[in-house]
Amino acid sequence: MDFLANLGLGFSVALTPFNLLMAVAGVVMGILIGALPGIGPPSGVALLLPLTFGMSPTSGIIMLAALYAGTMYGGTITSVLINTPGESASVVTCIDGYQMALQGRAGPALGIAAIGSFFAGTVGVVLLMLISPVLARWSLAFGPPETFALMLLGLTTVTLLTGESAVKGYISMVVGLMLANVGFDIVSGEPRFAFGVPELMDGIDFLPVAIGLFGIGEVLAGAEVVGGAAMLKARYGLRDLIPNAVDRARSRWAIVRGTVLGFLVGVLPGAGPTVSTFLSYAVEKKVSKHPEEFGRGAIEGVAAPESANNAAATAAMVPMLTLGIPGSATTAIMLGGLMMWGLRPGPLLFEKNPEFVWGLIASQYIANAMLLVLSTAAIPLFVRALRIPYAILMPLIIVFCVTGAYSLKNSVFDVGQMLVFGIVGYAMKRLGYSPAALVLALVLGPMAERALRQSLIISDAGAAIFFLRPISAVLMAMAFMAVLVPTLRGIAAVMRRKERVAASAG
Amino acid sequence: MRSADRIAGAALLAIAVAFAAFALRQYPYWGENGPGPAFLPFWVGLVLAFLATLLLVGALRSRDPGEPWLPDGTGLRRIGIVLGATVAYVALLGALGMTIATALFLVVLVRWPDRQPWPLAIAVAIVVAALNYVVFVHWLHVPLPEGPFGF
Repeated sequence: MDFLANLGLGFSVALTPFNLLMAVAGVVMGILIGALPGIGPPSGVALLLPLTFGMSPTSGIIMLAALYAGTMYGGTITSVLINTPGESASVVTCIDGYQMALQGRAGPALGIAAIGSFFAGTVGVVLLMLISPVLARWSLAFGPPETFALMLLGLTTVTLLTGESAVKGYISMVVGLMLANVGFDIVSGEPRFAFGVPELMDGIDFLPVAIGLFGIGEVLAGAEVVGGAAMLKARYGLRDLIPNAVDRARSRWAIVRGTVLGFLVGVLPGAGPTVSTFLSYAVEKKVSKHPEEFGRGAIEGVAAPESANNAAATAAMVPMLTLGIPGSATTAIMLGGLMMWGLRPGPLLFEKNPEFVWGLIASQYIANAMLLVLSTAAIPLFVRALRIPYAILMPLIIVFCVTGAYSLKNSVFDVGQMLVFGIVGYAMKRLGYSPAALVLALVLGPMAERALRQSLIISDAGAAIFFLRPISAVLMAMAFMAVLVPTLRGIAAVMRRKERVAASAG
Repeated sequence: MRSADRIAGAALLAIAVAFAAFALRQYPYWGENGPGPAFLPFWVGLVLAFLATLLLVGALRSRDPGEPWLPDGTGLRRIGIVLGATVAYVALLGALGMTIATALFLVVLVRWPDRQPWPLAIAVAIVVAALNYVVFVHWLHVPLPEGPFGF
């Protein structure tokens, strides 16, 4: 089996002292970034990306992937103890996690999340390892129409990220596409929308945009609030974390369901860990024998979403590695990193850079084991970090953002661009738009445009090409469904409201 | 939120139309053997115009003013301070250099909105600015903007 040989190669790469160190550093920084409100996985990856330029790409991706896994757990600590999510994939955990903490059960809440994260992360890597090579081989047959259909699916499902208004989600996405149009046209070489500014001719770099939207945007949103929220006191000795027999019995299948659901959602291009947590919480409430306990400290309400987000974070790497399409805002930034390291994500990555892909896969096993150790043994340390007043944390994050944006290309223009998008990001957050959709569209835009135009050249300008080829037709149908379903649901909601108004009037 | 949606809808509609029209005027829509550089911008502009119209119409017809979309007085002032300090920080990078600008920025922002004690503000500023210098300039060899003293 060459599969075992590949895994062996992977571990020989991942177990070198430097790469091990990068995995540990990634997990530790990830837990911290996840735990600290005001800085989440996308800004964490964007800020640390410049640090990886001095290393080999393999060490770089090992650190960033470990960091991503760490953030998924780190957010839990904040959700449970402070009732504010450390990052968006832990929003749901606040509901029952904080209730458990109020009942003096913060320990088991954190414990079950650690166990669920470890299980889901490990199963996620196994699935990633089994599915990716197959998918990569299969997608070698993809032509421009299939690629475009897949990108369209990614762009339409990303709007699932926005809870309140589908229209605003699509607006965010389309504005991202417009920004992606700035710069040299890939086919004709025309410098579009550059207005003679040399920096714009190369296109709008997504990294300063991401650092601004997620880093500065979040900081500004946090700056509104005076002081920090009170933290609950709890005991975090190893023994306090172990869930009791009832907890374990109730959580067992919740963790399994969360893992499966999280992986499925994560594999979809566009929909990432955050969506998976909301879905998995809803599912648990449906299948539970005592749904009335949800919202009052049901342990399934912590176990399932916390498993789902780790599974989804791992699964989001499947489309990134095999198809070159990111499954979430964070993997969109990683994908940008891959391209900056000079690697071409997509099916050929598995053939041309096996040490990179398999090193990453093997390191994910190690990262998950580290995560379990750190998330049980080192909780008091991370809790102490949460005590840093926001008044100190906030300026520090801004300094990281400014230095990070500058160090990308040693350019003050990038810093200015980051700042502008920081203000945009704050406004978007405030008004209910989706920064994640914008970043994803900005990354996918140029690839989608190339695939679209190549397809239309092949077909001699006929749009039928997207619907006559079987794979592309299925993907297009899924993309249309992704637009249609929320639209119909929106219309249904309006009708119901009208009926109610009519009923109360009559 | 309703008034914000009205303003945003109108502004986005204008941007969308301008974007599509500019693309059509400046760049060819169709090239020799396929879609030209204006092809996608035109359609993207059209889609945004449609979405912006949806947003605008929805907001115009809504009778519910919704939550206020601007933060209240204190919140607004705090954001103003943070934003102002950050803009000044970025503007001064070139003249003062990264290290001095960072230290000044940190003193101001740690001290100001939440009245942290002076010694803490100064200590944070010195430690972080120095660490920033060591990590980026010495370890990563990033030539951060230099000030009058060479750092």
